[in-house]
Amino acid sequence: MLSKWIRTIFAYAVMAFTVAISTFPILWIIMSSFKTNKEILGDPFSLPVSIDFSAYLDVLQNYNFATYFLNSLMIAGIATLLALFIYALAAYVFAKFDFRLKSALYILFTVTLLVPGHAKAQPIFSLIMDMDLYDTKTALVLVYTSFGLALALFILRATFMTVPKDLDEAALIDGAGFWRIFWSVNLPLVRSGLATAGILMFLSYWNEYFYALILTTGAANRTLPVALAFFDEAFSYNYTRMFAALTLVVLPGIIIYLLVQEQVQKSVASTGIKG
Amino acid sequence: MYNWKTKLWIAAFLAPALAVFVLFYLVPIVTVFVTGFTKWNGFNSPEFIGFDNYIKLFTYNNTFAISLRNLFLWSLIAATLHVGFGTLVAFILFKRPCGWRLVRGTFMIPNVISVAAWAMIYKFIFNDDIGIINNFMRNIGFSDFHVKWFYEMPAAFFAVTFTWLFYAVIVMLIVLNDLMAIPKDIHEAALLDGANEWQVTRYINLPLVKKAIGTGIILSVTSRIAMFEEVALTTRGGPGNETYNIPLMLYNGIVNSEYGYANAAGTIMILLGVAVMALINRLFRMNERLY
Repeated sequence: MLSKWIRTIFAYAVMAFTVAISTFPILWIIMSSFKTNKEILGDPFSLPVSIDFSAYLDVLQNYNFATYFLNSLMIAGIATLLALFIYALAAYVFAKFDFRLKSALYILFTVTLLVPGHAKAQPIFSLIMDMDLYDTKTALVLVYTSFGLALALFILRATFMTVPKDLDEAALIDGAGFWRIFWSVNLPLVRSGLATAGILMFLSYWNEYFYALILTTGAANRTLPVALAFFDEAFSYNYTRMFAALTLVVLPGIIIYLLVQEQVQKSVASTGIKG
Repeated sequence: MYNWKTKLWIAAFLAPALAVFVLFYLVPIVTVFVTGFTKWNGFNSPEFIGFDNYIKLFTYNNTFAISLRNLFLWSLIAATLHVGFGTLVAFILFKRPCGWRLVRGTFMIPNVISVAAWAMIYKFIFNDDIGIINNFMRNIGFSDFHVKWFYEMPAAFFAVTFTWLFYAVIVMLIVLNDLMAIPKDIHEAALLDGANEWQVTRYINLPLVKKAIGTGIILSVTSRIAMFEEVALTTRGGPGNETYNIPLMLYNGIVNSEYGYANAAGTIMILLGVAVMALINRLFRMNERLY
């Protein structure tokens, strides 16, 4: 009986530890973003004396964070929509038709997941230079779109396969063409797959740092994660401002995740990938 | 079997994805492999120099040797402690103790935010003036605790490790998923045979989730091969070059227009990834059916 007690206590201790290490760092920076620099230096554990949004306004108005925020939103948003469109087309064909080299092609497309993304940085950098797209939002949209290949195909093919073939045949008899059967019959029925793949891709694009760092240079096309690193170098001793900037980068992802928790967890569990 | 019109549609539906594959995967990967054997700065045409880039990587200074040492240690920690912790949490949550959904939900949070932001948060957590670690140590009585995490060895190595060590939610989710898929009658049969809870865990559940654990090891070791932000935004490879790794060398190669050199480092990253996958597949016999 004693060992059962010990086991229960151990289990809850591990659970408490897990929750603490997952939330405490974020709660700490959010809390600190409302404190003055002096309060932060005085005691890093104290609660803010008053709730004051001035650091946020400062960061958004005087340090271009509104621009970076919009850049991130635009780039991640457009790349997600473009990726969903391109890979839904391919996934549909992979799920519903037979053609030569089908399984070889599908394996080739999905095995790309296993190539470390950073390893092909130089060729992609040169490709973007050759297309004359260096330091543009288009460059990041294209590169990010390509990142979704394996993940989106994987999720979308599986969801297209759940749409019964009878529906396609019925539509065909009613005179619907290839495009109509795809767009009006199948696509509305795979909304959950589109949502899951879209959320995972959007989160990873929103958070991406490495390619945004090497493919942009000016402030005009800078995304939030890159801006954050610049900001750190320039203002490392104004902690309040730094924590407000960090919160602005971190919070949108957390909010999106909290809204669609179940979907994210399920797809991560079954695919082992988070984008 | 399809008419030509349908065949045309199929081709058209595949074309954009195929273009992405060729432009952003096939050509770049081939370029990485081939130009790893050339001297190339982006302006000259690549000049074949055999294994010189690789010789330079291994012998020029000790940075690459240190990078390999770090990768080896980080991979070992990832495969044991990191995967072990994720698996432990999965086995605990599998019993559905009160609050298990909350734990599963919050464990995911560090994984949905930017690694760049996460690395910087940890830079502040380990900061000497305002950081919570050092202040906590000073508050509980070690009044001159001033470890310069990220700036001195071996503290820097552990500080970088700490930014990812416990965040094993992916491992936890795939192991939990496999645990929940074990048919109920297997457990019932074992309990009827008089097995106790520990025996069920050790001799039934653990072997039946070994594929998930293998996948978890592959995923976490390959993320260590590609780890960039956790180093670039904290220690930048320092102090000296003690926390250097291969992605950081590759990044420097691009910034310094030493493309052939960068791609030699890229080739090694890709090959290491493949080797890890093959090895774990073998060790865990991941191709066999379990039940």
